[in-house]
Order: sequence, then structure tokens, then C-alpha cells
Amino acid sequence: MSNTDYTLEYSKKPLPGKVFTIGIILTVIGIALLAIAYSVDYVRASFNIILLFSFVASISLCSIFLIALEYLAGAVWSVPFRRITEFLASLVLILPILALPVLLDLHTPFHWTHLEAIESDPILAGKRPYLNETFFVVRFIVIFILMSLFYWIFTSRSQKQDLSKDQKFTTQNIKFSAIFMLFFAVSMTIIALDWLMSLEPHWYSTIFGVYYFSGSVLAALAVVTLFSVILNEAGYLPKGITEDHYYSLGALMFAFSNFWAYIAFSQFMLIWYANLPEETFWYIQRGEGSWLYVSIGLIFVRFIIPYALLVSQTSKKNPRRLKFVSIWVLAAHFYDLYWLIAPNYSKDNAIFGWIELGVIILATGLIIVVFNLAAKNRNLIPIGDPKLKRAMEFRL
Amino acid sequence: MAVDYTQEAPVIEGNYSFRDISDIISKPMETIPDKKYFIALGISLSMFGVGILCWILTFVYGVGKWGNNVPVGWGFDITNFVFWIGIGHAGTLISAILFLFRQRWRTGIARFAEAMTIFAVINAALFPLFHVGRPWLGYWLFPYPNNYKLWVNFTSPLLWDVFAVSTYFIVSLIFWYIGLIPDFASLRERTKNKIKKVIYSIFSLGWRFSHRHWHNYEMIYLILAGFATPLVLSVHTIVSFDFAVSIIPGWHTTIFPPYFVAGAVFSGFAMVQNVLIFIRKIFNMEDIITIDTLEKMNKIIIVTGTMVGYAYGMEFFIAWYSGNPPEQFAFLNRAFGDYAWAYWIMVTCNVVFPQLFWIRKIRRNIIIMFIIGVIVNIGMWFERFVIVVTSLSRDFLPSSWDYFKPTLVDIGILLGSFGFFFTLIILFTKTLPVVSIAEVKAVLKQAQPSHHGEAQNG
Amino acid sequence: MDKKLFCLAAIFDKVDDITKAAKKVAESEYKFFDVHTPYPVHGLSQKMKLKPSTLGYIALILGLSGAALALLLMYYTKTLNYPQNIGGKPTFALPAFIPITFEVTVLLASVGTVLAMLFIYFKFPNNSHPLHGTEYMDKVSLDKFGLIIEAKDPQFDEFKVKEFLGSLNPEVIMPIYYDPEDLNFKAEIFHPKFMLLLGVVIVLTAGISYILLNKWKQIPPRNWMWEQPRLNVQSSSSFFSDGFGMRTPVPGTVSRGNFPYVYSGLPDTMAKNLINPVLMNEYHLKKGKEHYNTFCSPCHGYFGKGDSRLNNQFPNPPSLHSDKLRNWTDGQIYHVITVGQNIMPSYASQLEPIERWQIVNYIRALQRALNAREEDLNE
Repeated sequence: MSNTDYTLEYSKKPLPGKVFTIGIILTVIGIALLAIAYSVDYVRASFNIILLFSFVASISLCSIFLIALEYLAGAVWSVPFRRITEFLASLVLILPILALPVLLDLHTPFHWTHLEAIESDPILAGKRPYLNETFFVVRFIVIFILMSLFYWIFTSRSQKQDLSKDQKFTTQNIKFSAIFMLFFAVSMTIIALDWLMSLEPHWYSTIFGVYYFSGSVLAALAVVTLFSVILNEAGYLPKGITEDHYYSLGALMFAFSNFWAYIAFSQFMLIWYANLPEETFWYIQRGEGSWLYVSIGLIFVRFIIPYALLVSQTSKKNPRRLKFVSIWVLAAHFYDLYWLIAPNYSKDNAIFGWIELGVIILATGLIIVVFNLAAKNRNLIPIGDPKLKRAMEFRL
Repeated sequence: MAVDYTQEAPVIEGNYSFRDISDIISKPMETIPDKKYFIALGISLSMFGVGILCWILTFVYGVGKWGNNVPVGWGFDITNFVFWIGIGHAGTLISAILFLFRQRWRTGIARFAEAMTIFAVINAALFPLFHVGRPWLGYWLFPYPNNYKLWVNFTSPLLWDVFAVSTYFIVSLIFWYIGLIPDFASLRERTKNKIKKVIYSIFSLGWRFSHRHWHNYEMIYLILAGFATPLVLSVHTIVSFDFAVSIIPGWHTTIFPPYFVAGAVFSGFAMVQNVLIFIRKIFNMEDIITIDTLEKMNKIIIVTGTMVGYAYGMEFFIAWYSGNPPEQFAFLNRAFGDYAWAYWIMVTCNVVFPQLFWIRKIRRNIIIMFIIGVIVNIGMWFERFVIVVTSLSRDFLPSSWDYFKPTLVDIGILLGSFGFFFTLIILFTKTLPVVSIAEVKAVLKQAQPSHHGEAQNG
Repeated sequence: MDKKLFCLAAIFDKVDDITKAAKKVAESEYKFFDVHTPYPVHGLSQKMKLKPSTLGYIALILGLSGAALALLLMYYTKTLNYPQNIGGKPTFALPAFIPITFEVTVLLASVGTVLAMLFIYFKFPNNSHPLHGTEYMDKVSLDKFGLIIEAKDPQFDEFKVKEFLGSLNPEVIMPIYYDPEDLNFKAEIFHPKFMLLLGVVIVLTAGISYILLNKWKQIPPRNWMWEQPRLNVQSSSSFFSDGFGMRTPVPGTVSRGNFPYVYSGLPDTMAKNLINPVLMNEYHLKKGKEHYNTFCSPCHGYFGKGDSRLNNQFPNPPSLHSDKLRNWTDGQIYHVITVGQNIMPSYASQLEPIERWQIVNYIRALQRALNAREEDLNE
């Protein structure tokens, strides 16, 4: 795949200010809604903050993961989209702000903080060395510092490369990516265990970290795809991005949809089949009242519909289809997290109201705002990346 | 050391013409095997012979010849079954998953790895077949209307195994054969021997290199890869279900499916890497099966090895976290009980040694990578042993706790399974093209048209 | 020269040449053309203007039918034909059916699509195609790229085509003819060679099946459990001192469901302790009538009057309607049925306890029928 006369023509165009304004408005509405929620229904609001946190954490951490994956796998086609991924990864910097309301009051959402309950419960007492407030906060801070550090390592080298076009930055980033992967695996697992699984402190599942990871990568991919397609169609990316690039994005989303289904099915199947009361209650809780329909809906929303939408070769190349699927997949990730979290504050029936809507609005607003801020003084593609020319010439 | 990222690393090193490729790959089939070949064949055949003897003993006297007993009803047989099925997984991963991810370095090794898949699956399928006790009634495992009006138990994971392994075997065989058709046609045109020509003609089905055929052929390859990818995941997942749907502490863990798949790929790659090191040396294919390819395989070994390590850690942590006493005991017993030696062999071989592949020099050193490959396979065999035996030897009834000891027949069968596998591989190298001729030609530098004028189409 | 022309072929050396040539020929008026390359060349399909492969649809249809087939089979066997409770799971345990459904889907879709491609799309096996055994095939299988225009094309004109091919700058242009042997070949079913082959196949298949099923399967150890180290019923054994293979139970053994009758010889306690456990209802009366008619009526008669079919052949039994019997407790009647009285033998071996009680009920009904009370008229 050589000897073409492709030359990169890229000049930076600023993103339209209108989008930024919309982002700000959405953020403000979201914050306002959640602030009201805190005064109206304190418990529900604090669970919703966890929902928001885990949603944004998925996208930010898995964006860093996608960057590292590109370096490690030596992927070529994804290079034009790496900057977009980097901008999304900068969401990692606002994670402490999102986590703060929960960290200040762990007592409301987390049953294992209730000392009087632990006293009469030997199982919870046994978990005390791991599930205690101090260690929880320490874990979060360490993860935040580590992830921000890697974010800074990857993006700063990528930025420097824009100017110097030096290949050594790529080599360095590849090495850091390998180290990052180890920390990432542990961090993702801890976030899944701490913020989602420990909401029901008696329940346990070894695959849970992988479950959260599979959905999160999908969400990160969906945002990257959505932004890439929109920016490319609006002419912010240089010419040369073809349907082969789209195909690769679509194929990855398709692959991870299946991966999620595989993990989710494995977890459900093993617990359902073995039928041990200490495990099944988690699923039984999600099969009560209207939760049953939410649970069945999850199969369709998260797997069957994206599968059907992406299964054919042409659909993966179709930008309209890709945009639709990305939004769908993002919504599905939210649905999934809601399914994980909400049964803890509404046991009998599924409730969805303006508070949950506020989370969606705030998350959308934050993604737009942070993306705009990150993109402000940077190129939308890594123009100094040595693989860029090959990436633009990429054909299946 | 410095890598130039602006250029794509060539899949095939050196400057070869299409004719050279055909010559190199067809050479083993056109020359009379030398002494070394017969020595190698002799060694593996004698190992195989020991295995056959032990199989016959099992056949005539029953599974009482094995070390299996209460409470360890699954001993070496199921360990070997899981081990060999795992070895097979690398082949499908290389041929299907890497194909879907457009990893072109797979071309040099795909054919060989697929062949290993098929041999490993045949090997693996023998174990449960004999484990059922009366292998001549093995067809009872399939649902067919019979005079007892009985049906097989579709909710049993052991039956899922029957479906998964037979599907896996058939689909792998078809995948392999589809890849071989154009090569059979090439050989048909090359050979001067009349009998060989008839054989190649039959197997090539009359392939004539028409692009109207290639057009559909590439599609079917994509479709088969698309099916084989979830299939390969499903096979080891279902093998893991054999354990995980039960309530035995140490077996019932939700991470088992992905953990087993990662482990399977891990050991499979180590095996493929080991065998390829010999093949490329003996048949002078160092430029087709390049050191870069081996390095990439080593990278996959370290990735999957780390995943396996993650699963070990996760299992241990959740066992403690669960607050479930039998679960906690099962894992402490693994690490510090009677089988602690096996557990620590497993951990060192699977988690510690592969970490050496972080160093680039080791990744590219043939001898060290070979040794690590062997170590990985030892470790992965012990992983299955630890899972099967430690959990069973300490079941819910302390009065029946016992220590599993394999018999000589057990060990003979294990040896024989390696002999069987290597015999098939050695025969394969001289009868069929070990590398796909058509696929390698397609990744040569001069093989594909330049992009002039294609940009507006594409 | 009676050789029939199949096509005109041109051979190219470089891959770029063949893609250019393919594009030109696709744009020309010829429809029956083909390109032959030793490996799949990227982008050639677009140049040749080939329609996208339809194999995907075949795979989809086969896959869906595989899933449906597997689910239907499991539904039929597990829910309709032979429902079983396995591990407390529902008979239609969908999560547990998914693995097999998936495997069958994959199996049917991949095998079926491959077979469809080889045998329907490609019409394989086809080793008698005119291109086989030509120098052209020899070259395109190795390192050259070939292009043919078939003679059956309506626009085919040997000179024009030659000129057209020449304009593409090939290395060589060559005509390819049909093999006359292939053209004259006719498939005959009754060809002796074919019949011989058929015969051999039939004999082999039948013979092997016969040997496998009737001989091989009966040689030890495949003897179906009928040869085991065990003692058959009624056979002798040198192991036991009395030489019998069968053993008598240990004294005092009580077999399940056959609790021994403890009141024989104790008429007083029996009358007090034995209480009829069977309800006086239609079901039990029906059953009681059945058993009475079978076992009691030969002597006592259908209505208990002692006027039976065996009248005067034996000492006649007394009527069951005597005052003495009417005043007996249920237990006393039960006792007589169980142990017998005078010439009447015990019926314990013929009748289960519950059946005896049913007979007692029926006798009560017969007695009532002959000695109805005032209040019975009210109903």
C-alpha cells in the first residue's frame, strides 16, 4: 500500500462557538437539576451522582485505553481519530469534581458504611479491611492521580510530536502504553467494584470488572465514532478519511457489542445455573416488578438492536447509520449503568424521572464542554504522527 | 532498534518472486524426507505407541485403569481435554480473529496454526469419549430418536461440550480446507507425478483461479472468520461452563469464561510458536515466518498471560471478598494445601516467566522464547490440573477427602497425546503446504495494484 | 481443424496491467470474460464490475434456520416429548439452551454456505473445464495474470477479439480449445465400470455395517453389560454353604409396603383397634364392588346372600345380611378377609389392605341396601 501521492492538507479550523454555548447551557441545566434533586430527594440524588460518575469515568478512562491500545497494537487506521480520543480522555480531569458529592457523604449510597449494620453482619465485618471509607477515598485518589498522569504522558507527547514530528515520542508512548495497561486493568476493576458492585455489598462476581470494562470501551468508542463522523462530515478533518476508516470504527463497535453480550451472558448464566442464594438475589432484585421489563429490555437495547444495526458490511460504512448507532450505544451504556445502580434506591419498580434526565443532560453537556475546551488550541488530528500518512491511505 | 513508523513493516522479508514462493513452500512435498525427519517421526511414533497401548488398556479394562476415584472423578483425562482444546484455540484465533483485524502478519503462520487446531481438537475429543466409560456407545451423546424414547439432556454443560467441540472441529476443518483449495490447484499444476496429480485434482475440486471465484471466495473467508471468531470463544467458554455452572468452590466463578479463553490462547500461542521455530528452520522459511511474526506472537503471549494473571488475582480477591467460608477455604487450599506445589508451578510458569517478554531482546531471541513457550505450556497444563484436582479433592464432605495419584496409564496417555499430536504435525509438513501459497503471494510487495485511480472509487 | 474454440486468452506479467485490462474489458461489449490470478487481487472486483457477493444472505438464512431448528428440537424434546425436572430448572430453560442454539447456528451457517458456494455458485467439482491442463492454467496458477474472453459471447469474433486483446499489451495471446474427449463424453449409468464400482461400494458398506453392528459390537468388552460377575436368579453357587445362589432374607425382615398383619389370633383387640381408613365414597365403593365381584361373589353371591354360582358345591357360606354380621365392626370383617374363617381362606395374598377396606365398605353398602332406614327415603 505505498507509492501514492497523498499529501496531507490540514489547517486548523476552530470549532463553532454555538456548540460550546449549547454545552454550557446543558451543563448549567444539569447542575441545576441535580442541585434541586439534592434538596428534593437526597438519597436518589446521591445515587444519581454515582450514575453520572461511572458514566463519565467509563468514557474518560476507556478513551485513554483506546489511545494506549492504538500505540500497542500499532494500529494505523485509527491515527486520525486519536486526537478526538485524547480530547475525550481529558474528561478524566473532572472526575474528582463529579466524585466529590459522593466522597463527602459515602453513608447514603453505601450500605457498608453503616457501622451498626456491620456489627450484626459477620460477612460485612469480614469485608471491612477493603470496604471502609478511608481506603475507598485513597483508592479513588490513587487511581485519579495515576490515570491523570498517563493522560498527561500520552497527550503531552502527542502534542510535542505535532511540532517536532519526532518519531521518538511514538516509541516512548508505546512503552508507556504497556505499563498503562497494567494499571488500567486494576483501576477499572477497582472502580467497578467500589462504585458499582459494593452498592450491594453482599453480592460478588469475579467478572464484574470485565463487565464494566466491556460496556465502557463500547461507550468510549461510541463517542469517538460520533465525534469523528460529525467532525469529518462538517469538514474539520482533512480529506482522505474514507468508508474504510468508518468500517473499522463500526467493526470495533460491533465487536465490543458482542463482547459485552458475551460477558453479560456468562455472568448471568453462571449465577442462574448454579442458583446459589448469595448470588442470585442480585438478579432476582432486577426481576421484580417493572425491573423485569428493564432487564429484558437491556438485552435488546444493549445487544440485539446494535447487533442488527451493525451486522452487515454496508451498515458499518454508512455514516448516518454510524452516528445513529453511536448515540444508541451511548444511551444503552447509560441504560446499563442505570440498571446496575437504580435498583438500589428503588427496589420495587423502575423509576425514571427528571433527576435521571438531569444526569443525561449534565453528562452530555460536560462531554461537549470538555471536548471544546480541550480542542481549543490543538489540532484535531495528530499532524506530527509518523503513521498519519499511512493512516490516510488506509484501505481494507 | 529504531523503528520507522512511516513505513509499513513488510510481512515477508527479502525480495521474492511469485515463483520463489511456490518453490519454497512446495519443496517439502517434492523432496524425499531425510534421516532427521525419520528420527523425529520415530520418536513421536514411539510416544504415540505408548499412548495407544494405554488407550487399549483403558478400552478393555475401563477407566478403572486411571487414577480417578472418589472424590476426584475428573483427573488427568479432563485436564488433558481442556489442555488440548486450549492448544487448538490459537489456530482459530490466528486464522479468524487476526484476519478480521486485518493483521497481515498472520499469513505466514495461519495454515500451520489451523492444522494444529484440528490435530489438537481430535486429540482432545478422545479424552471425554473414553471418560464416558463405554466409548463404543459414544453416539448416545447425540440427540437422535431411539427405541428408549430418551433424549440427551440439553441443559447439561457436558452435552454443550459435545456440540461445541464437534462444531468447532467441523468448522475448523472446513476453514482449513477452503484455504487449501487454491493451494491444491497450484500443486496440481506443478506436479509431474500422475498419481499426485489425480489426488490434487480431486482435492482442488477443479479450482481454476478465476477472479469470479476469488470474489466469492474472499467473501466466504470473511463469513467463516466471522463465524469462527465467536465460535472459538464459545468453545472454551463452554468448557469453562463444565466447571463454573457447578457449585464446587473454586469452580463456580463468573470470570471463568473469559479467563479460560485467555488461557487457551496463551497456551495455544506458546505451542504454535514452539513448533514454528522448528518449521522455519528446517524448511528454510525464515523469511516467510519472520522473527517479527514470532515477536508479535510473544507479545500476544504476554498479553494473554497477564490476563490469566489478572484472573488468578481476581479469583483470590473475590474469594476473600465474598465472605463465603468454603470459597475462602478452596483458594487457601490451592495455594497452601496438598497441591500447593502444583499451584506455585502454575503461577511461576504462567505469570512470572512470560514477563520476561517485556524485554525486546528476549522477545526476539529464538532459544529463550522457545524455553518460555515450553514453560508456558507446562504452566497451563498445571493450571487445568490445579482447577480440576484441588477443588475435587476437597469437596463438601470432609470424610471423602483424598489425594489424587495418577497411574502409569494416565501418564502414558498424556505422553501418547503428545506423540499423536506431533506425529500428525510431522506427517502434515510433508504432505500439505505448511504455509498458504496464495495468501503469501498476495502479501508480497509486488502483489497488489498501486492506488492510482483507486481513491475515487474507494 | 475441427477443434472447437473455448476462448481467447491473454497473459500479463504485472498486476497493474491486469487491473487496467480488467477495467477495459469490463467497459467493452464483452460479457463472458474472466480474469485468472494466482491469488486474490484487491480491487479487481470493482474493476470487473462484479456484483457484491450474495453469500452473506445465504449465511444469514442458514444461520437463522439453524437457530430455529435447535430451539425447536430442544423445545420438542424437553418440553413436549419427555419433560424432565433437571436441577429445578424450567423444562424450557432458555439460558441453558443458548449454547447449543449458538453452536447449531454456526454449524449450519458455515457448512451450508461453504457447500452452497462450492457446489451451487462454482458448480464444483469440475476438473473437465477446458482451461484445465492448458499452459494458460499452468501460468496463472504460478505467477502470471490471465484474461479470457469466451467464444460463447454473442459479440465474439475471433479477429476482433484478438485485436482488442492486443490493444491491452499482453505478453502472449493464445486460443484455448475444448478437449475433444470431454466434448464427446457421455455419462452412462449402465457403464460396466460404474456398475462395478457401485457394486463394490454396496458390498463394502453392507459388509462393514454387518461386521460392526453384529460381530464387533459383541466381542468383549463391548458385551452390553450382560456378562458380569454376578449370580443369575435360580442358579447355584459354590460360594454359599447351602449351594444356592439366591438367599433368603434375614429373619424379621419386612419388605417395603408390606407391614405384617399383627391381629391373627387376637379377635378382641382387633375389633377395637382396626379402624376403617377408607372413606365411604363413590370411588372406593366402585373399587370395592370390583374387588368384591372378583374375589367374594363366587361364594357369597353378587348381593351377599350366599346364593352364588358355586351354590351347593361347597358348604354354602352364610348370608352377609345376618344381624350378627350387621353388628360386626369394620375391623372384624377386615380381619376375616385377611385371615379367613372356617372354610374361607385368607385373601391377604390376593388383596392389598386398602382393597380389603374397600370391600368392607361395599359390603356395608349391600347391607344397607337390604335394610334401608327411614331417613334414606328422604334423599
